[in-house]
Amino acid sequence: MPQVRIVARNFMDMVASLPPLKLDKLYENSFICEAILRSLPPLAKKYVLQLLYIDGPVSAKWLEEWVLAEGASKHKVAIDRLIQLRVLTETVERKKEATYLFNPPFQRNLQKHILRGGVSPREPMPSNVTVRLPSTEELDAYAVEQWELFLLHLINSTEVERSMNISSSMMKVFQHGLLSQKDDKEPSRLTESGFQFLLMDTNAQLWYIIREYITNCEEQGVDTADLISFLLELSFHVMGKAYNLNTLSDIQRTIVKDLVDLGLVKLQQGRKESWFIPTKLATNLSISFADTATRKQGFVVVETNFRLYAYSTSKLHCEILRLFARVEYQLPNLIVGAINKESLYKAFLNGITAEQIVSFLQQNAHPRVAEKIPTVPENVTDQIRLWEADLNRVEMTPAHLYDEFPSRDVFEAACDFAREYGGLLWENSKKMRLVVKAEIFTQMKEFLRRQKQ
Amino acid sequence: MTPVSSKLYADDVSLLMVLIDTNPFFWNSAQSTLPFSKFLTHVLAFLNSILLLNQMNQVVVIAAGYNSCGYIFDSSDPQNQNKRAEDLLHKLEEFVDNDQELCREESVDGPGFSLLSGSLSMALCYIQRVFRTVPLHPQPRILCLHGSPDGPGQYVAIMNSIFSAQRSMVPIDSCVLGAQHSAFLQQASYITGGVYLKPQIFDGLFQYLSTVFATDLHSRCFLQLPKPAGVDFRASCFCHKNTIDMGYICSVCLSIFCKHQKKCSTCGSVFGQAQTQNSSTTPDRKMKMPVDG
Repeated sequence: MPQVRIVARNFMDMVASLPPLKLDKLYENSFICEAILRSLPPLAKKYVLQLLYIDGPVSAKWLEEWVLAEGASKHKVAIDRLIQLRVLTETVERKKEATYLFNPPFQRNLQKHILRGGVSPREPMPSNVTVRLPSTEELDAYAVEQWELFLLHLINSTEVERSMNISSSMMKVFQHGLLSQKDDKEPSRLTESGFQFLLMDTNAQLWYIIREYITNCEEQGVDTADLISFLLELSFHVMGKAYNLNTLSDIQRTIVKDLVDLGLVKLQQGRKESWFIPTKLATNLSISFADTATRKQGFVVVETNFRLYAYSTSKLHCEILRLFARVEYQLPNLIVGAINKESLYKAFLNGITAEQIVSFLQQNAHPRVAEKIPTVPENVTDQIRLWEADLNRVEMTPAHLYDEFPSRDVFEAACDFAREYGGLLWENSKKMRLVVKAEIFTQMKEFLRRQKQ
Repeated sequence: MTPVSSKLYADDVSLLMVLIDTNPFFWNSAQSTLPFSKFLTHVLAFLNSILLLNQMNQVVVIAAGYNSCGYIFDSSDPQNQNKRAEDLLHKLEEFVDNDQELCREESVDGPGFSLLSGSLSMALCYIQRVFRTVPLHPQPRILCLHGSPDGPGQYVAIMNSIFSAQRSMVPIDSCVLGAQHSAFLQQASYITGGVYLKPQIFDGLFQYLSTVFATDLHSRCFLQLPKPAGVDFRASCFCHKNTIDMGYICSVCLSIFCKHQKKCSTCGSVFGQAQTQNSSTTPDRKMKMPVDG
């Protein structure tokens, strides 16, 4: 079984891996500080707040005194994270007393925030400008639609809809690693990571894409620090409010235009000026995964007879279900399908694991069944796992069969030789036959030729 | 009330109900140690820091006056996004003015006491509403910033609120700003598993608040938070609202009386004759002592 898994690595890990100088520069922006703080584990947040108004170094012992024995590991994780993100810098004195010092710009920014309260990154559109703004529902619908279009494009890139308004160059970037295309004539295919990607929840997908986007921009010479700080800043804009495009720098304006394709922002043309409106996808950027993963309304009901009912009108949902189930019929608001061996084998061949299918079914369970335990019937989940295990039962190894040895001595020498190289798979001394892994074929050939002489 | 645990957000998303004592009698007496304006500065910074910690955190402020209680601030209100402090102060001013006008002679305990029971009930009602309406709700807790002395007349109401909070698993944290310890709040925090603290230095109130009371319920399992040195468990009698060490208890509804009664004023049960009157060795008089620890 191929073990290629794309992990939705946390965005903050990416920030943490930036070089110290860049990180310090990022902390000059108060929104980054805020986003970083919110991404920390709970205990680390508490330490930040506790140390915020303490100037000068704090000894490690002083912090440890607060921790109960049960929390020692959590404490270590929290402190490690703070040091990794350079929020705290650790210095070990000669007396082996570790002390922590707060990152000065980070501390300053948070202190300011606490005294002043949250400030919006930029002023929203004044109310006297008469531009019709989309309502929250419209905006949500827009974001979802745009996002689904993007995913749909990923699935049926063979029959790309002509109506798609996503610029193709951007699309290439976003789909990097998810689609593979051998040459221009052949339609591109989803890679294994592509299939796995489709089963992730929206926020994880979003992060994956954003990460690709950042790497791509880095290659084109855009400063990652600028990009990350703008993306995080974007998440602090109020959803549904319009902001003037003129307040952005040139680089930021291009970024915004790219993000429009994904549904993170909506552009609105005013009489004189253009405005951009962040959608909930953008404002969710700085939220941790755990919080958003559980908020989505599910739509799938799985029955013990392996039938699957999906209350959804979305074409995307249908396509995703088609990845591992046989869709039998589609009603205006309902997709009915069945999970069977063939459909699952197809999924496994595409590199989707049973675990991913099960967790997709669980995460997207219809509210009615979500309350039940287990959400997906146990016999179904077990069977999915069993079918996957079935595939793993036979292991294929390319090999060669050697037959008709001239003498027993040669046969035994060949056996020993193969064993020495760790390539002996099977031997039958009576019939003088032997099976050897294909990877040592050349060595075997050499050896047998020497034996002949 | 069903204990709702599966519908919680992960980890540290909190709903913090802050009860602010706005009793002018108390704040007038505390003028020298902690003026009200300074207190508000600390509290506002504290509220900002709570909202800073998590995007989903929610803060609701309830003012407990001496005649009325009122919601002053709710961070989930979309109109409160940008001008938190201005909005809160404006509402607070309105509330205090109204509270003053309501001043009636037949106030529960007379002036000098603030309506802790009322504000606690309001906080619990708000939490219940969140429990019932929102599919996924943050972990609620109540923080009482209280200075006025305990109003004996509110004993029954406060105890009822405490038990209701205990049932809904809502911890009540108390930060006592007055000169004396508050027996009510000691019991409230003890029973509901909250933190009771009486800060020594009011200049560092924000540090007290951010170090102790900003800790979310998830992190509390790993941290050593202040433990009460002693809790005053003495009850008040239902008839005269006096704090008593020993008294009579109705065997049906557990109401407490300081003197022998013919009939229980709460549930109406008729009591038999006390065996010996006016003697401190009667067998049915239960001892209630302040317990340490």
